[in-house]
Amino acid sequence: MSCAIRGGERRFALALFLPALLLLVITTALPLIYLVWTSFLRIDLSMPWLGGFAGLDNYQKLGNDPRFWNSLGLTLIYTGTTVVLQVVLGLSLALLVMQVKRGQAMLRIAAILPIVLAPVVAGLFWRSLVLAPDFGILDFITRWLGLGSYNWLGEPRLALASVIAIHTWQWTPFAFLVLLASLAALPPDIYEAARLDRANAWQRFWHITLPMLRPAIVIVVILRMVTALSAFAAIFAATGGGPGSATEILNLYAYRLSFTELSVGYGAAVATVLLAVTLAVAFLLFSFRRKK
Amino acid sequence: MKARNLVLLAIAVLMMLVWTFPVLWGLVTSLKTEKDVLAYPPSVIFEPTLRNYADVFRGSQSIVPNLISSVIVSGLTTLLTMILAIPAAYALSRLDLPFRKGAGFYVLATQMLPPVGLVIPYFLILRRIGWTDTYQGLVLVYLTFALPFAIWLLVSYFEEIPREMEEAALLDRAGRWRALWHVILPQAKGGIAVTVIFVFLNSWNEFLFAVVLGGNNVRPVTVAMFNFISLEQTQWARLAAAAMAGMAPVIILGLMAQKHIVKGLTVGAVKGGGRR
Amino acid sequence: MTAASVQMSGIVKKHGAVTALAGIDLEVRPGEFFSLLGPSGSGKTTTLRILAGLESVTEGRVLLSGKDVTNAEPGERDVAMVFQSYALYPHMTVSENISFPLRMIHEKKEEIENAVRDAAARVRIGHLLDRKPGQLSGGQQQRVALARAIVRKPALFLLDEPLSNLDAKLRLETRVELKRLQRALNVTAVYVTHDQEEALSLSDRLAVFMDGRIVQVGTPEEVFSKPATVDVAGFLGNPPMNLIPGGTEGFQSLKGPDVILGIRPSAVRIVDEGVHATVTMVEALGEEIYADLMVGELLVRARLREGERPAEKAQVRIHLDPTALHVFDKATGKRL
Repeated sequence: MSCAIRGGERRFALALFLPALLLLVITTALPLIYLVWTSFLRIDLSMPWLGGFAGLDNYQKLGNDPRFWNSLGLTLIYTGTTVVLQVVLGLSLALLVMQVKRGQAMLRIAAILPIVLAPVVAGLFWRSLVLAPDFGILDFITRWLGLGSYNWLGEPRLALASVIAIHTWQWTPFAFLVLLASLAALPPDIYEAARLDRANAWQRFWHITLPMLRPAIVIVVILRMVTALSAFAAIFAATGGGPGSATEILNLYAYRLSFTELSVGYGAAVATVLLAVTLAVAFLLFSFRRKK
Repeated sequence: MKARNLVLLAIAVLMMLVWTFPVLWGLVTSLKTEKDVLAYPPSVIFEPTLRNYADVFRGSQSIVPNLISSVIVSGLTTLLTMILAIPAAYALSRLDLPFRKGAGFYVLATQMLPPVGLVIPYFLILRRIGWTDTYQGLVLVYLTFALPFAIWLLVSYFEEIPREMEEAALLDRAGRWRALWHVILPQAKGGIAVTVIFVFLNSWNEFLFAVVLGGNNVRPVTVAMFNFISLEQTQWARLAAAAMAGMAPVIILGLMAQKHIVKGLTVGAVKGGGRR
Repeated sequence: MTAASVQMSGIVKKHGAVTALAGIDLEVRPGEFFSLLGPSGSGKTTTLRILAGLESVTEGRVLLSGKDVTNAEPGERDVAMVFQSYALYPHMTVSENISFPLRMIHEKKEEIENAVRDAAARVRIGHLLDRKPGQLSGGQQQRVALARAIVRKPALFLLDEPLSNLDAKLRLETRVELKRLQRALNVTAVYVTHDQEEALSLSDRLAVFMDGRIVQVGTPEEVFSKPATVDVAGFLGNPPMNLIPGGTEGFQSLKGPDVILGIRPSAVRIVDEGVHATVTMVEALGEEIYADLMVGELLVRARLREGERPAEKAQVRIHLDPTALHVFDKATGKRL
């Protein structure tokens, strides 16, 4: 085996890769281990003398904690709803835009704005400008349409709908842009062949477009799911997790526990559960992707 | 047919409105007086004032220190990220790296981590070594997400360069380092630029880490927004001005680089991985 | 630079369980134009890349001018290569592309300029020095690749199917120029191609590759007139040699049933007395006309002589010139 050639390249590759890897391991593996360790402790930053090893107590507490189950449910509803909406809306808009010859550039610029905005600012804008009672735009519109006035952020169900709307508003452009690019990259001769085979528009969509878009859609779903599971800033800015616990997804519950209520050990347990859920979802989606 | 085109056009215009509206309305609000903001019905015609911007840039509520904070944190993060990510991405994508699959998988996995899961241990650890409210602490933490993302994005750009480039350069007696420097990197300039934009953008817009691990010294502009919100009242107009000022850099970056951003999103997405 | 000699002994190359090269022994003399000919996947490109140092060997040795370079890096071998895709540096001008190898060894600026001008003149692209590869046609790009390879006056010149991306006419013109260039520079050239006509016209000697082995080495005349195996026989010549199994109806008398008979279309005659055949198609390829004949189930091609023009579906009789017959063992494929 002429190792010299291979060896030289391998050493070179390692030299280039190791610094980044080292940093990554230090900043992810170690803190994660610490997180899980912390979840086995009882830490109350307001009463530090009460700390100590608690074993699986925190996790047992989770099982009986209605606020936790509420949080978990909300997380699933939030994530599922927004991802589905993003994909459906994004795909529909992309299909539409494909047929608009001019103005595609302007639409792309418009699509970029929500994406580059900081989520916290998106939350604030929606909270203050759109959804605020009395002077928010939405309130104005609903009253003008004779539908009355609603407390978008103060009423539990509406609040959940509102934060889902905010997230969807901010991230649909991503799905839109990716799917638009994928659509544009589809070879046109297949469609010509299909038309010769007398397939109508719906059939062409269902049997050709959709299957060929499948890889792109799967990627979009994976990426958007991960973002939705770790969404924090927009909800924090818009509702803070409230009213009460109406929009308190796992992210926010863990944050509140650790930094508002200062019960860090328990917060760490909630965060660990979120971590497990995220990894499970990612694993499922990736193996789904691989199966194709 | 004409009617159909009109409907399509209407929907397209509606899309544009919906997406640009909050920013435009924020801009409008930032030019109103506090009284005008609270007026009902919401006034489109009013007497614009720059008072809010003045308040937000000067005086006791100035966000200028926050802007500076953001610039330092984002700038440092971007610089360090690129220095580490470019070689790493090159090795991962084009060289015979030992444990290549595992390494790639690890990089991908770190992007999936929910930030709240890391902010708790970071807080405890940084507190212990006295690095909360410091630039080095915050930048180190920001690197956690910037680095894998940058690596993944760069990998997809490096993969687009034809394989024979290094071989030709090696035969031309360039050696591996110079092959990378003279032949590969110039061809990856576009991808590097896009990555820089994204990394900077993500860092600038970061909130959770900034609010938990920052403090009075290190307080990026995303956190400074909340200066204008308190239990008693919210200074809506000033908040809007602060938000516009804070977001101006990323909006300008986004508009300037919009072709690249679209490509970056799609390339990164098609090859798998990437948070934004 | 003096032309190099090449010796490869016992080269085995494995990718995990797959064997790409099953034992290659090769010798190229200094100043020779040597082709590696074979179908896709036969191992010829792998062999070339091993010579370049771009692939490692599992077993065996490579010697360049007597020096063992089996483990040497590509840059250490004094070898230049023209890639099939040309591998031009797209961000550099033509002049920068050509000068790159000289800049890497820190030659003096003036000498570099002279060398670049000289190389560009040899391939006639002196007027394109300030353009970028993206602005050039395929043929021009190929010349830039050539110029970059010859500018450093290498001892060994490797070419990986350099003409395959050109259109037919350009291919013929460039072929002639390549040979001329090699002779003018007196450099040893190893040339990979799957086009047997190219190999036969360009080479001083060639090696035929099949399934990771060399099945024959020799001059174009030797290989063409005395193919060592059935595969080689069927590969060389356009149209290819007719291969007739020994027991076929009408040909049993010749050499018995355990052989395969090979006969070139030019040696198949239409006569009054002979084996029965039916004309299925007549192809006029410019100066030569060929007829496809069915002998029972077997397709035989014959080159027609001046004036011969049988109609389709005509019944004719054919005769094989016994002096032009190649006989191969049915089991091993080897020449008898």
